[in-house]
Amino acid sequence: MRSANAIKDFSLGDAADIPDAVRSIAKDELSPLANRIDQAGFYPVATMAALGEKGAFAAHLDRFGARFDVALTAMQAISRYCGSTGFITWCQDVCGLYMEQSENSALLDRLNEQAFAKRLGGTGLSNPMKSLTGIEAMALHAKKVSDGYRVSGTLPWVSNIGHDQYFGAVARVQTGGGADHEIFFLMDIDDQVELNKCPTFSGMEGTSTWGVTVKDYFVGDHNLIADPARPFIKKIRPAFVLLQVGWGMGVIEGAIESCRQVESSLGHVNQYLHNRPEQLQAEFEELQQRVQLLAADPYCADKDHLINVLDVRAHTSELALKTSESALLHQGARGYLMESDVQRRIREAQFVAIVTPAIKHLRWEIAKLMQEPTPV
Amino acid sequence: MTSQSVNDWQLYICRACGLIYDEQLGDPDSGLPPGTRFEDIPDDWECPLCGVTKTDFERFERPVAAANEATYSQTRHSQPGVVIVGAGSAGWSMAEALRQQDKLIPITIITACAGDIYHKPELSIAMGRGKNSQDLVRESAGQAARRLSVTLIPHTQVVGVSQVTRSVRSTRGTFEYRYLVLALGAKGQSLASVPDAASWRVNHLQSWSGLAQKVQGDRRHVAIVGAGMVGCELAENIAQAGHQVTLIFRDSTPLYPLLPSTAGYRLAQSLQQQGVRCVDGTSVTCVKDFGPPNDTADKRYQLALSSNEILEVDAVVTAIGLKVDERLAKSAGLHYDNGIAVDPQTLQTSASNIYALGDCISLSGLPCRFIAPIVKQAKTIASQMVGESLIPYNHEVPTVRLKVQSCRLILQGIPDQTASWQTVTENNDLLTMEQRIGDHLVAHLEIAEVAKTG
Repeated sequence: MRSANAIKDFSLGDAADIPDAVRSIAKDELSPLANRIDQAGFYPVATMAALGEKGAFAAHLDRFGARFDVALTAMQAISRYCGSTGFITWCQDVCGLYMEQSENSALLDRLNEQAFAKRLGGTGLSNPMKSLTGIEAMALHAKKVSDGYRVSGTLPWVSNIGHDQYFGAVARVQTGGGADHEIFFLMDIDDQVELNKCPTFSGMEGTSTWGVTVKDYFVGDHNLIADPARPFIKKIRPAFVLLQVGWGMGVIEGAIESCRQVESSLGHVNQYLHNRPEQLQAEFEELQQRVQLLAADPYCADKDHLINVLDVRAHTSELALKTSESALLHQGARGYLMESDVQRRIREAQFVAIVTPAIKHLRWEIAKLMQEPTPV
Repeated sequence: MTSQSVNDWQLYICRACGLIYDEQLGDPDSGLPPGTRFEDIPDDWECPLCGVTKTDFERFERPVAAANEATYSQTRHSQPGVVIVGAGSAGWSMAEALRQQDKLIPITIITACAGDIYHKPELSIAMGRGKNSQDLVRESAGQAARRLSVTLIPHTQVVGVSQVTRSVRSTRGTFEYRYLVLALGAKGQSLASVPDAASWRVNHLQSWSGLAQKVQGDRRHVAIVGAGMVGCELAENIAQAGHQVTLIFRDSTPLYPLLPSTAGYRLAQSLQQQGVRCVDGTSVTCVKDFGPPNDTADKRYQLALSSNEILEVDAVVTAIGLKVDERLAKSAGLHYDNGIAVDPQTLQTSASNIYALGDCISLSGLPCRFIAPIVKQAKTIASQMVGESLIPYNHEVPTVRLKVQSCRLILQGIPDQTASWQTVTENNDLLTMEQRIGDHLVAHLEIAEVAKTG
């Protein structure tokens, strides 16, 4: 049962006001921190809380009107000023989505804390998403015990987590009889969970990304998101992937703005570049229109809808790469300075393109979905 | 006077600077009018570029634009060329028509299949003739691509089309186009009661080949759901290959409502004489597979029919009609009306620079699924891209001849489902019927017994 009191404690106000409020915090508070977050590994917990208070991580939830369009716009606004924070915004959004769609009352009671960033939560679905489509093996495995499951294994990197935080995870239950299935659960990071420091990345260091190792971690009813996991994952998959697009769109928006910033001073030479800002903007606007249409029906179960979602996600990666490189070419040496958002955004765009689902995973999946099924 | 005709104008190249003297053009600036033969040039004439005399010139043959040269030119082309989506008859015919007119225009074909050239109508009669998929391939994809200087991107799905960036998004990246031709074909429709993973839809070489492999060897039992043209042709042909065939269809006669039931009844009789069991007025309610779980080759299927009969078969074929991929047309923002709507004269879609031909198009809301007009369609489209003027397409409904051996069935025109048929001739060997609206002959059909040989 949902707790009526818990919902009453928080109010979202008018969803239409969220993007502006979020953009103002992102511009004034987040933007000055962006390079520290990117390079020095500063995890912007306080800014996340401020963004959460304005509803940045709540609008997409059914509880608050399922406004995916608003959630995407808010994520884009954050990502425009800091791609790392844009990424953990997606983590926060989908973790809330898992909790809500689980319909597990124990998790629903904790949902508002998540939705308004009183607590931060991550997602460990990179490996299971790849595993379920046949790209790699499942990293966590579970044993049935009398009152739940015991989970063991290692996930190499999970973002937006830390001690006393949590994330959505999937483990394969080995029954030994050829009838394996998976469970989806919220892993609370307590003493049973070992967090391992990750090697240094080329950027995006402030996303609080850790390796996670568990041995016989107990999962009881109160933490179960779905058992079996597959129908649940199938249901949330288009929404899960579509939300990520908001993050990439912020990187694109920022990059096109960087091209424009130098137009008055460098336009006379920049005219010789291909991928000029107005061309990039036209492509971006067309992409945004497609995204808006898909956001109107985020859980649509049609195969065609899923293909379209995967395609806008792939296009977002490609356009992020293209615009961020073009921004550097437009800005020249000033964009190559270590402090410049232009060079930072190149690394952000690269992460947009390689994180799960990476361009290659998306194409693999689209190719599979578009293939005509036959008996053999 | 020389005996050379004006068509034999020669070219001479200056060995010093590479200038080409063309007899046809002459060198008017130096007083040589067009048509001045090289031998008639005065000895004191000088190369207009470098000043050497005619003794430093030698005969020059202009290289013929060979296939590999065209390929090379593609890499230098600053403008994107024509992208064709699909490598069935329509896609390859398009490439042929373009290449006939223009040796250099870059052509890229993106296709989900391997791209080998075969004649699709042969699929429904190939099994009875003992053919395998290699026999059916008339030219391999690689050979055809080389012959036509086409960049072929096989095993690649086209995911989206952007009119803004004039580009095609695919599972192997994005391709820009100057002109886009959709030759997507159509896919076999599915029935809710027959899972795709349990039934074959014989609409391309790969699926035909899969079915042929599944039934090869022993006598097998094949259920065919749907008695349209493909269903009837396959049923007879698979029976001729020595298999047990059950043809299940919803209406009381095959090819209904294309054929009136008097004609359909004769067709059913003929098919039955060939060993096809016709189960009319019946639909499939459920299909289950059984047999060894990990051995798909030996998997068998149980069909529950609306007549309460249970059939056990080795393979199920669904042949209930075709459908065009609407998602792609929508993603491109193209008008879709039972197919990609095209202008009946130009075959242009609702977007400029995007054309379509073959099974994927609709003309005034009617699908156009005939093989015969495809070459004409390709010429019309090519004329607008590389020709001097439009060669308008004029759609004529081709005569339909059912590819069965047990009877001769010929249909002309498009029958009107609301109009009645009149019998013209009816005897044991022949039935001819026609449909008229007022004085206008709408459709004519003839079904005749084929004389038994021997």
